[in-house]
Amino acid sequence: MKAIKLQLANKTLLKHSAPQWERAPKGHISLRGTDPEAQPSPYIRATWTGKRVGAVRTIAVQAAYNRQNLFFRLEWPDKTHNPDFGDGLVFPDAAAILFPGEGDPPLARMGSPAEGIEAWYWRANREDGERLTFHGFATEKPQTDQLVATSADWEDGRWRVVIGGPIEAAKDGKRVAFAVWEGSNQERAGLHAFSPEWQELSIG
Amino acid sequence: MSAKKDSATQKQAAMVFDLNKCMGCQTCSVACKTLWTRAEGQEYQWWCTVNTLPGRGHPRDWESMGGGFSDGIPQAGRRPAQREWGGGMDFNYDEVFYSGKAQKEHLKVLGEQPEWGPNWDEDQGAGEYPNSYYFYLPRLCNHCTKPACIEACPRGAMYKREEDGIVLRDESNCRGYQFCLEACPYKKIYFNFAREVSEHCILCYPRLEQNVAPSCVRGCPGRAVWFGFLDDETGPVHKLVKKWEVALPLHPEYETEPNVFYIPPILPARLTEANDFEEGQPRVPTEYLESLFGPRVRPALETLSREMASTRAGGKSELMDTLIAYWWKDMFKPFDQDPGEIEWSRTAGEQPSQ
Repeated sequence: MKAIKLQLANKTLLKHSAPQWERAPKGHISLRGTDPEAQPSPYIRATWTGKRVGAVRTIAVQAAYNRQNLFFRLEWPDKTHNPDFGDGLVFPDAAAILFPGEGDPPLARMGSPAEGIEAWYWRANREDGERLTFHGFATEKPQTDQLVATSADWEDGRWRVVIGGPIEAAKDGKRVAFAVWEGSNQERAGLHAFSPEWQELSIG
Repeated sequence: MSAKKDSATQKQAAMVFDLNKCMGCQTCSVACKTLWTRAEGQEYQWWCTVNTLPGRGHPRDWESMGGGFSDGIPQAGRRPAQREWGGGMDFNYDEVFYSGKAQKEHLKVLGEQPEWGPNWDEDQGAGEYPNSYYFYLPRLCNHCTKPACIEACPRGAMYKREEDGIVLRDESNCRGYQFCLEACPYKKIYFNFAREVSEHCILCYPRLEQNVAPSCVRGCPGRAVWFGFLDDETGPVHKLVKKWEVALPLHPEYETEPNVFYIPPILPARLTEANDFEEGQPRVPTEYLESLFGPRVRPALETLSREMASTRAGGKSELMDTLIAYWWKDMFKPFDQDPGEIEWSRTAGEQPSQ
């Protein structure tokens, strides 16, 4: 996928409604759900096997950068708006931009002990995004000194989310993938939808 | 992290509540509340609760929410909704107590009106007069030998302490995914919405480390609760659970092997229409007690009745002497240190300065 250069301030690029986003090519990416039987806890394996994981099956992605930062604009249909934990029965919707940390980490397992995945993580109940490192499902460790910028809007049954981070994290030729957690489907931890193939990111 | 491995702690701290002595005064609930759950996000949390049985309990209808194991296989459970917990209410104290309007304004809940709370169906019970009945059931985390919560966590953030079997959570590793809430069949884990971590009874481990009994135990004015190590053969907990087998876990069919045990209640026999006691006809149906404590409740009730009869006839009963609890501190030895004599450190894990 291609990230285009937009000489705009960070706060403009963080707006999903900024008209300049129309210049960035939009890729439609298919997602699939993670495997319940590959989950790390016996409880999750026993209670999720046979259930549908990955309620969100497609997202539209655009990418743009300015001098310091790289931004991804994600959009997907979601009839159930989950901005928080509700009455305790749902989870906030969430999404992440994934980069391979080292080697060729398996997306289907959110990395492995030897091959980690770096994530720029947005969650609907938080203003700031997080930078997380995964070495398998639900193993994420926050890099507490490194935040990513996010902004999000849910309107007319669609999430529009922009996630931005330092451009050094994603040099030309770097690969990228995506993950979405649908809160109304109890998706959290290793239960989510993901793009099954790493995509090459071309910057320029 | 397998359950088998978890069950192999060196010692297991355990508790016995005598439901014949519990008077539902809520001192244990309040002792716990004031010590542990006063921070933001904990308003609705009551790690120790006392409910009237028969009743719907707290959270409402928790026994129908699943979790635990069946033939060793984890069972799906659900998380209680906020409205099923209830609690955390704000009242118009200022208006009633300080505004001079006490004659007109009555105490009421501000904001959204609750539909449930920690002790909502107090003293309702069951049965028809004159054979109506109820008793009180104090509940806290069971610090199970086979904790479904620990096994459910995909991050391994929960563990059972080797030295005393207390089930704890490393909060720095908790991401608030709440599989522990689902898996716990007793619904004694709470989600802190402010801090986005799960929380539950820690069995007052900072007190235990100073040989002070948990606040719910030490606070009980009815001498209704014993505390100690389950395998301490000289202690009352071991004797009540293992020797006389009169203290039973709640819902053993959940297969988590709880370490909080209960002496089942024996109320007076049923009354006939002529107001005579109908001996042999228990006021609390034995089938009901069996639905709570399993089939072992029948021999336990027989033992209790036999020993009671023996003391009534002038005989001696070590079991009755233990249940009467002549010496308060014997109920929780060796955790009989007076907390008032300790200079407590405010930093977790730090030794108190002397």
